[in-house]
Amino acid sequence: METNKRSIRRTLLMTGSLALIAGTLSGCFDDDDQQPDPTPTMAPSPTPTQTTYDVTPCLQQEVAPGVSVAGLIVPDTLTLDLSGTSGFPNGRKLSDPVIDVTLAVIFLDLGTHSATTLAGLPLNPPSNDVAFQSSFPFLAPPQGSPPVTTATGTTFTFRSSSPDQYTRVDRMGMPAVSTALIGSDTKVAYNDADPADDASGTFVPELTEQLTGLTNALADDLVAAGLQPCATATTAS
Amino acid sequence: MQHKKTIAAVAAGLTLAIGGAALMPGLGLVAADHLDPPSRTDPSVDSTPDRAADIADLFAWHDADNVYFIMTFAGPQATDQPATYDPDVLYTINVSNDSPRTTADFPIYVRFGAGSGSNEYGVQVSGIPGTSGPIEGSVEKTLTQEGATVRAGLFDDPFFFDLQGFKDTASTGTLSFDSSRDFFAGQNLTAIVISIPRDRIENGTSPIDVWGTTARIGGQM
Repeated sequence: METNKRSIRRTLLMTGSLALIAGTLSGCFDDDDQQPDPTPTMAPSPTPTQTTYDVTPCLQQEVAPGVSVAGLIVPDTLTLDLSGTSGFPNGRKLSDPVIDVTLAVIFLDLGTHSATTLAGLPLNPPSNDVAFQSSFPFLAPPQGSPPVTTATGTTFTFRSSSPDQYTRVDRMGMPAVSTALIGSDTKVAYNDADPADDASGTFVPELTEQLTGLTNALADDLVAAGLQPCATATTAS
Repeated sequence: MQHKKTIAAVAAGLTLAIGGAALMPGLGLVAADHLDPPSRTDPSVDSTPDRAADIADLFAWHDADNVYFIMTFAGPQATDQPATYDPDVLYTINVSNDSPRTTADFPIYVRFGAGSGSNEYGVQVSGIPGTSGPIEGSVEKTLTQEGATVRAGLFDDPFFFDLQGFKDTASTGTLSFDSSRDFFAGQNLTAIVISIPRDRIENGTSPIDVWGTTARIGGQM
């Protein structure tokens, strides 16, 4: 298992994802203003400025030994370590509370809190509204009384077009990464891209910017709730 | 049980300091992947949304014997609506079991096709390692071939999330998740479920990476 995790880490380092993230962050934590100047300027402002945060520690913290948050979301794939126990973020089972776990690992200091802290509250519904099946096909039957497709057919006509003749519409790996950490302007490009683009760092600035924006809005509230954010304050009003 | 379990227990003071507009600059934490990207799949944004090609969720897990993949799509929808089997959409579950993790060592392709009778639809799953050819058969039927098992059909939407709570959080500036409120409850969607013997995917200690894609013949709607 350790070998496997080392392998994941090694691969990430090879792709340069973490290095790119770190490099991008230095110019990004100051919000959208592109002010890399390390010396804060105290220009008069009609409204008080808000505390801003550096999310580098959030991206670098480990969810499991050798598996960083950055490594989970870049590239955007579900990753299975077959030697370990199945369950998000080691793959994703139907019953996993993925949103609460995701929110925890991107916002909370995992040195202080468990990745299941928010799921333990819980913040969102902890389970599906109907029970999953314990064996194949696992999903629950459809609810209500929908029209049922006849299951007796034996002869069907399928397209034989090669995959390259189709035009991409949608892509998904990790739950909620595309929806939560990619802004509207970048969504189409993100869905048209592939994990190789993720690994090359194409979307790291966007992911970092969105996470920074969310953190700037929520960090004070997390603190007020007795939770320790993973992000560190960089400027204060 | 409609009482709010917000997170009052955690903090009375969990009130956002700023408004929702600032909280969500261009964001829409709508779901796992339902209605994303909005400009192609969300009817509130796109006049010709591609429901069929809209991935809702992707699941991948393993046990001692098999690795399981589920891709859900075309949902959530009301429980009086039929399944979606669009022959013009190619569904791909990309699987990498070797370095680099970003290359699909075996893409699994799923296509739907009309049957000879009315209300008949078939599913074709190709690319499953260890199979000599595509697995083909009717939807709503469990199909087994050379150790692999597949089934396409209409199912309950398995995702659970308080979408309303998120919207309220955004519009009021007050965190108001309610764990007893599940937007996806009582809704259905279409799905493909695949079971593959683990030894056909396992590759020493290499991690297994999985991602889903959809594509439409003739370009986007």
